[in-house]
Amino acid sequence: MKEFKSSIASKVILFICAVFMVGGFFFYKFDYQTLQKTDQFIQDKEALLRLLQNSSEIHRMWNEGEESREWELEKVECLKHFAIKSPFDETLLRCNPMVLTCHELLNKKINYRFVKYSTNNNYAAFRYLTKSNTALVGLKGTGFLFTLEDLKSQKKLDVFLEDQCHEVFLQKRIYAYGEELPGKDSEDYRFDNFSQNIYLDTHLVTNDEINNWIDFGDRDFTKGLTKKSGNELFLPATDLMLWQMESYCSFKGKQLMLAHIFDAASFFPMDLNDITPAKNNRFPYYWTKKKSEFKADCNLIYAKECLGQKEYSLNTSAPSWAGLKDSMGGVLEAFRNPIDPESNLKASSFYFSFNSPWHKLGFRAGWDGTGFELRHFDFKGINPDLGIDRFKVGFRCMKEAK
Amino acid sequence: MRKILLLLLLFLCSCIPHQFSNQNLTRQEMKIYNEWIYSIRIKNFSQLGEVISRPPGVFQFLFSLTIPIEGGLHYKTHCIYYQVPYKKIIGILKIDELKSAMECPVNSDSDSWLEVQNIKDLRISLESFKLHLIFKNNTHQVDWSFLLPNISMGEFHEKNLYPGMSLLRTTEESFKNINNKYLGRISDRNSTNSAIVCMKVDKGCHVVGEDRCDDCRYGWYQVVDFQCPKGGSHFCGQNHCGEKLEPACPRGAKIITDESLGICQNDLTPVWNAAHILICQ
Repeated sequence: MKEFKSSIASKVILFICAVFMVGGFFFYKFDYQTLQKTDQFIQDKEALLRLLQNSSEIHRMWNEGEESREWELEKVECLKHFAIKSPFDETLLRCNPMVLTCHELLNKKINYRFVKYSTNNNYAAFRYLTKSNTALVGLKGTGFLFTLEDLKSQKKLDVFLEDQCHEVFLQKRIYAYGEELPGKDSEDYRFDNFSQNIYLDTHLVTNDEINNWIDFGDRDFTKGLTKKSGNELFLPATDLMLWQMESYCSFKGKQLMLAHIFDAASFFPMDLNDITPAKNNRFPYYWTKKKSEFKADCNLIYAKECLGQKEYSLNTSAPSWAGLKDSMGGVLEAFRNPIDPESNLKASSFYFSFNSPWHKLGFRAGWDGTGFELRHFDFKGINPDLGIDRFKVGFRCMKEAK
Repeated sequence: MRKILLLLLLFLCSCIPHQFSNQNLTRQEMKIYNEWIYSIRIKNFSQLGEVISRPPGVFQFLFSLTIPIEGGLHYKTHCIYYQVPYKKIIGILKIDELKSAMECPVNSDSDSWLEVQNIKDLRISLESFKLHLIFKNNTHQVDWSFLLPNISMGEFHEKNLYPGMSLLRTTEESFKNINNKYLGRISDRNSTNSAIVCMKVDKGCHVVGEDRCDDCRYGWYQVVDFQCPKGGSHFCGQNHCGEKLEPACPRGAKIITDESLGICQNDLTPVWNAAHILICQ
């Protein structure tokens, strides 16, 4: 009986062993697959964390621009890549995709790449987004979309970077429009912006920015415009008709600079602390409160004489009190003038010598907005030298915000 | 021998649920992270990182997240609920998905988008744009941490983690003109009655209806109507203020009163129209 019991026990043990062996085999297989799946999720998480880390670095480079260590290291090669030989104001590289695209192109150690997008013309490492060309809900302002792809996992992350580094807020205060007229009884055209939040572009729109419009904007509005490259990238865009200037600003959710707002941002206030002055004294030069303190200085007004001294570049002159660059000199600048529409052009430019009466704030010429030959301009009898085939007219935008 | 084999059997059996559980938790964590990373708003969040211990045995609403759908054409909502374990009732973290941006019901009343079962001692906290969910799953301590870079925080000045940067969820659909719901055309004008009012104030300076100016396709501009301290009504589109039959440009109210509140071209006069908007004619 004992032997019989022992033989049953042995059989049970053998059976259990067999179950174990078969079970073990399937368990191993199952466990291996489970581990693989778990591993995949862990890798997915690691990839996401890598992409987030890279986004943080990209955000830093975006804001630092020319001050980033990456630009310092890659500047020479980058400029060579874009065929830029002339010096330019490198602060324009803040909120500009050039630093990022060069970093991706030139740094072999990074673990991501930018997915290429098709444009109206070619391919780009980014897509320029505005509310007019995307259906994405809740888009904040305008800016550049980069799709980062993690090289190890091919996981992607869409990063949107706003291009608002070159805007200034216009202080809320009482201002006045136009030149100060002589005589005690002359009436000032005064206004205030206490009920408005106005942001102004600090610099004229560049060819680089127009390139993005050509690539990602409505082709009906960009007809006839050609993309610029090399040294022209960071020069002001000067071949747009007035309606195209307005359309470009609309594309960005902005409007063409208004003449009286430009005056507000360029006339040096008598007292910066007094936001409701009883009178708005206006001085003809943006850097001084003295009418007599004119300086024939190319760093203040890039006038005709400066062409022989230093190469013209955007943001060549000092900023006005509100932060506007090139408020005098350089290229001509078009506005929309809601008070006197015929006076819509800043004539202070490199077409006139330092001693020209045009070099005064608030004193404007006229442009019909349809061409660039002399016949399209009204210089009120103070004409530039003959022999200029085509005048260069730049522009900038402004916007209201909540 | 028999005892050894039995022990081995027991050990192997105990491993199976553990492996299941781990794999499941990592899968769930990533499923959540791949959605929540795009959250733009967190609502009703009031936990201070303490263990949630009551009410036991019933689901309670914890918080909600507003998230763009794939392609970013509209928003959806994740409602997060928690059932505190009690006797034989297990602890469950439950996430319901609502197909639009809306308030979550107090009680979970739909099929879950995701459920994490057998959890206890749940603590949730939100610090430096990181949402922490810390809990025990069976006997394991789990610490989930989700970065929410798109949400705005701050008592006075709302800011997100990376000012000027946000994460988007795009597909080819995101760029099709047919899907674009932003308001207005570039040719819209007040003079042709085609301009869209995106924000309207009444004479008591109250905003009437919804402010939709963030949805204007080509920006917006202000008109002069009721001399409100924060300004007048807003229209979507390209600004032609000061021009014939267009609204006058705001001139401010500190210096000037009445019709002169608006700026018009020299040869035009500002007049109030039937809607009490200052128009140049």
